[in-house]
Amino acid sequence: MPRIRLENIVKRFGTVAAADDLSLTVNDGEYLCILGPTGAGKTTCMRIICGLTDPDSGHVYFDDRDVTRLEVNMREATMLSQVYSLFPQMNVYENVMFGPLIKEWDEESSRQMVKNIFHMVHMEERVNAYPNELSGGQQQRIALARALASGSKILLLDEPLRALDARLRLELRKELRSMVKEMGLTAVHVTHDQEEALEMADRIAVIRDGRIIQVGTPKEVFEEPKTPFVANFVGRSNMIEGVIASAEGDVATVTGNGGTVFKARYTDRAVGSKVLVAVKIGNTKISLTEDGYFKGRIERKLYEGATITVEVNVPDIGTVSVKLPNRKFDDFEIDDEVSVNWSPEKAFVFDYPENGLEDELRVD
Amino acid sequence: MTKIKLEHITMRFGNIFAVRDINLEVQSGEYVTILGPSGCGKTTLIKVIAGILTPTEGRVFIDGNEVNDIPIEDRDVGYVFQNIALFPHMDIMDNVGYGQRVRNASEEDTVAISNEYLELVKMLDRSGYIPSELSGGEQQKVALARALASGSKMLMLDEPLSALDARVRVELRYDIRRLVKRLGITVLHVTHDQEEAMSVSDRIVLMRNGTIFETGTPLEIYRHPRSIFAAYFIGETNLIECSVAQKSKNGKTTVRLRDGSMVKAGKSIYSVGDPVVISVRPEHVYTATDGLRAVVKDIVFMGTYWRVRTEADSEDYVEYNISADSQVPMRGDEVFLVFNKKASVVFARPYEGIWEAIRLE
Repeated sequence: MPRIRLENIVKRFGTVAAADDLSLTVNDGEYLCILGPTGAGKTTCMRIICGLTDPDSGHVYFDDRDVTRLEVNMREATMLSQVYSLFPQMNVYENVMFGPLIKEWDEESSRQMVKNIFHMVHMEERVNAYPNELSGGQQQRIALARALASGSKILLLDEPLRALDARLRLELRKELRSMVKEMGLTAVHVTHDQEEALEMADRIAVIRDGRIIQVGTPKEVFEEPKTPFVANFVGRSNMIEGVIASAEGDVATVTGNGGTVFKARYTDRAVGSKVLVAVKIGNTKISLTEDGYFKGRIERKLYEGATITVEVNVPDIGTVSVKLPNRKFDDFEIDDEVSVNWSPEKAFVFDYPENGLEDELRVD
Repeated sequence: MTKIKLEHITMRFGNIFAVRDINLEVQSGEYVTILGPSGCGKTTLIKVIAGILTPTEGRVFIDGNEVNDIPIEDRDVGYVFQNIALFPHMDIMDNVGYGQRVRNASEEDTVAISNEYLELVKMLDRSGYIPSELSGGEQQKVALARALASGSKMLMLDEPLSALDARVRVELRYDIRRLVKRLGITVLHVTHDQEEAMSVSDRIVLMRNGTIFETGTPLEIYRHPRSIFAAYFIGETNLIECSVAQKSKNGKTTVRLRDGSMVKAGKSIYSVGDPVVISVRPEHVYTATDGLRAVVKDIVFMGTYWRVRTEADSEDYVEYNISADSQVPMRGDEVFLVFNKKASVVFARPYEGIWEAIRLE
């Protein structure tokens, strides 16, 4: 059952469309991530769901009830904003117990719930502290705890992990998701971090320029991107331009700059069409011995822990990045000549973007 | 050649030790990251080097000369802050040339230098813009150009990427490394992000509670951490409590898990019966037809791989990766886990317990 439905929402601030005919459905009990770069309209989208911002046109439905003109406090949705607005005169425990208390819930069971939540956010030892004694990351976790304890069945989380240290963020990703699932809540979570979205979401809605450009499971968005932007934003991709030379069976042959020839997924685009071929850096392969589509020289090796990224300079094509498991680190050295290859089905074919590649891939 | 040397540096604020007895040498042209959780003293340390703070005790040497009494403006250190600190009313060109102007450089030189550094960060086409017209990543590039335009051979980066989007962060960190390596600049880069630290630095200095916990190249620390905290903080890992069951002549260790199952691990100095912890990264756990029995709790798509979370018969939670193309197990499935023994690092079981040993705050 759709819990939240946005229908053709438009919201302009001056000449900027923060929501440009935006439609989105969130199912009951779903954990949905709205993923996009800064300025894409993520926060506006959340504020419209919550009732903090009125759309210029379009409708918001909760359980098929039109709530577009309903006030914030009548909507039964709790928003955790990037500004935490904790009560400064109350300690951490009182801040989080505030919701259960004014709702006059059973005290013993509220206390147990709040205890579990404190444990989840790693704050059980700071319950007596006051907000001004806490770091930004700690305040964020308390705000998150308060939102979870509010009793709302809909949780709107605007970058809930942003202020946290990288390591703690990894822990809280798992814990926040399982807590939301355990409590049977519906969550909409805004983030700019594609790894966070992949790991946490049931479905991801990729937003850009006030429009949802793709909605799907993490696997769908990663493996079947609809636009070059999605291909590069959700897991980096190598972007290579070319012209369709032929397409037969499952495979297309593309001619690139300098007479290079490479394969991609089948496309029904006409021979001679200008296209952009996108291959995830994790699906791009290099070899010292085998043949490939082109040869290049290794410029750089970057160690990232579980993975390494190798950058290869290919004449006429530019830099091609390859993500490999870390055990391959010693297999390649700077200045090695390698061939570059990929399976044709892992190479997506897109129309060459009208406004140019740089504009299409812009993430900032 | 040693560029920066810290000798017994202690910085106290009232009764609180921000850093305590730090000794560190940084070579000329080296890219060092200072990595650690919030509040570990990492920012204090670079502020002491830059001269923003005067240490309570200890001595700071730059190029072999003690600089404790040399004020910040004469230390010749570039500094980039987490919160982008450009002058909002000045255009990009003037922001970058600010340092030159303050030093009364000629207008001609100022413009030439500003152009040169804006070109290096690929922002020359924006030189007439004011900061608010640029994105966060672009502003931070300008801040970097401004720090470098002073011509200083040392750069302190104080969480320079923290305020930026995840994706912009990844692009920019590679740009920074490329640039400073080209210019031969010595860099101290403070961060709480272990992946960032691993991908940019020649050497990582891991801090905790005001002291240096461990140092090493990214590869050394990731593959051969010398402490449980380093194993946990730098990269993801499974930490499993067990005890030493057998020891071979050359030090190879076999451990007994809580359910009695035996697992081969790497070399260690511990003896039969000693309580230990093994650290195995998810990419070094495989499934087989026999091994540690576990039940699949959760399967998460991570892009190029699936992360499988299991609970083993030993009551340990063990995570492993399988490639995106492989057959995915179902929740509730039974699997048998084996560990890459060479990559299973053995530590003494901490007296205070594992959770205390890896606490982030």
